[in-house]
Amino acid sequence: MTDNIIEVEDLVKVYDPDIRAVDKISFQLKRGEVFGFLGPNGAGKTTTIKVLTTLIRKTAGTAIVDGINVDEDPAAIRKIIGYAAQEVGIDDDLTGRENLRLQTVLYHTPKAEAEKRIAELLKAIDLEEAADRRAATYSGGMRKRLDLAMALIPQPKLLFLDEPTTGLDPQNRAAVWEYIQKLNEQGMTIFLTTQYMEEADRLADRLSIIDHGRIVAEGTPASLKASIGADVVSLSFKQNGQSNPRAAAKAALAGLGGIREIQEVDGGVAIYAQDAPALVPQIVLALNDAHLEIAELTLTHPTLDDVFMKFTGRKMRVEEVTPQRRTPWGARRRRAM
Amino acid sequence: MSAGEFVSEVRGIAGRWIRKTLRRPPFLFFSLVQPIVWFVLFTAAFSKISDIPGFASSTGTTSYVTFFAGAVIIQTVLASAMQSGVGFVTDMESGFLDKLKVAPIHRSSILLGKLLSDGARILLQTAVILVLAFALGVGVATGLIGLFLLFGIALAFGIAWSGISTFIALTTRNSESTLMISLLTTFPLLFLSTAVMPKPLLSDRVQSIAVYNPITYIADGLHQLIIVPGLDWSVVGFAFLIIVAVGFVTLSATTVMFRRAVSA
Repeated sequence: MTDNIIEVEDLVKVYDPDIRAVDKISFQLKRGEVFGFLGPNGAGKTTTIKVLTTLIRKTAGTAIVDGINVDEDPAAIRKIIGYAAQEVGIDDDLTGRENLRLQTVLYHTPKAEAEKRIAELLKAIDLEEAADRRAATYSGGMRKRLDLAMALIPQPKLLFLDEPTTGLDPQNRAAVWEYIQKLNEQGMTIFLTTQYMEEADRLADRLSIIDHGRIVAEGTPASLKASIGADVVSLSFKQNGQSNPRAAAKAALAGLGGIREIQEVDGGVAIYAQDAPALVPQIVLALNDAHLEIAELTLTHPTLDDVFMKFTGRKMRVEEVTPQRRTPWGARRRRAM
Repeated sequence: MSAGEFVSEVRGIAGRWIRKTLRRPPFLFFSLVQPIVWFVLFTAAFSKISDIPGFASSTGTTSYVTFFAGAVIIQTVLASAMQSGVGFVTDMESGFLDKLKVAPIHRSSILLGKLLSDGARILLQTAVILVLAFALGVGVATGLIGLFLLFGIALAFGIAWSGISTFIALTTRNSESTLMISLLTTFPLLFLSTAVMPKPLLSDRVQSIAVYNPITYIADGLHQLIIVPGLDWSVVGFAFLIIVAVGFVTLSATTVMFRRAVSA
């Protein structure tokens, strides 16, 4: 038994017709850690999780979960993992308790143990009061929490969480974060995906930044931020006749000492500098001389946002979640695509 | 994975579907009221059919209600079976099917549990029809064994026919198309059979089609059990044989599509 619970090498998943959702990625998950996949929608996060949870077959490469090759014995992998999908897979017609009870049947939990575990989980996710109400009546946050509890019924060695807090309000998000941390402290290995920088920063021991099916950077949140090695001054410009303000800004600032790098990004430029506060007055003056009008200037210590920007040249866009619609008849839900 | 685990998985999944049906009172209500509507509507409209010369001699009864009881069972089973595929589509859309797929269960229990729950619903509907039939003065001529066989035919026929809509559901992955296609592929068969009209009274063209229509033989079996005293195994046995043959085809096709759906 190796130290790695997941070993992925050159994983490729091509959906027909010719969409390379995951394009030769490699990474490892150590036992006991929280590992994060950070990336925008469509980056390949869910596809990777679906391969590892045996839901879809990979196109090429190797993927090994707890020493088991996903192609060889998927049934054995299903016994040791828990999975909470991005779209909540609960049955609206059943109560919260019944959803959990069905899960204990599917995971062959002994009867005596099952009710105890259900009660504990309902308590842990703060759903005791609503436990005997139909899940159709639950709020988005309650649904997401119930789904998490369902993934925990088998007491998995390895837990997959696909965007566990997408669409949650800050309060619910904080509660889920706390719970994930607690699970990890109890020894559970967790693989989570997220499009929230803050979430990756807070939860992940290590993370990979994924974009367009490729891993563009990896490391601990601290090391990734340190890789920028500098403060960041982000600038955007007013449209005032300059045909290419970004190039003009780069030219205007080229002569300044103390700047490590100037990068053209969406909507402006990012200036990386060791001691940015001291440099700001000179930057403003230089731009003024070049007749560039500044629309916005921010000075930040490096965040994972900056890391993402540095490696992709783009800001990460977090898409709004479409609210769920319900009908009184049968409360069938339409999935927001 | 042991046999005991398999049984409890199937029971858990079938139980979920049954519970879902019970949780939707409008759905449950209308699926039970539907046979009553068929019964009342059709017998009111067509009761004079029994006056047509040749009706009594070819059917063995002078009452259209008695003759029609078998058709109500068939209609109800068809309507019920038509929807059974829709459940899979909603499970695919909601992500619940993924939840079942990552669980360490036999994948076949997903399909089997669903079909068994459909069977349970059909048994309940058949019971409602028979109670209503008794209230309208219809008896089962073959007695208790006949009654038992009526339930048997309804159940087996229902599961075999559920295979059609499930196959369409797994192929189209869309609930509207599933309902539309199943409707068009099942209901015309009802009127091209001996279910609602004794064979000699059907037009020649329909008669020649009815000979190749499996529903004819199922209807003949039901009519036989309800109308003719003394069990005629040749007719009833043939009805079962036809159901098994149809079931073999529909369920094999469904299994293939189901495997494709769960193995992705």
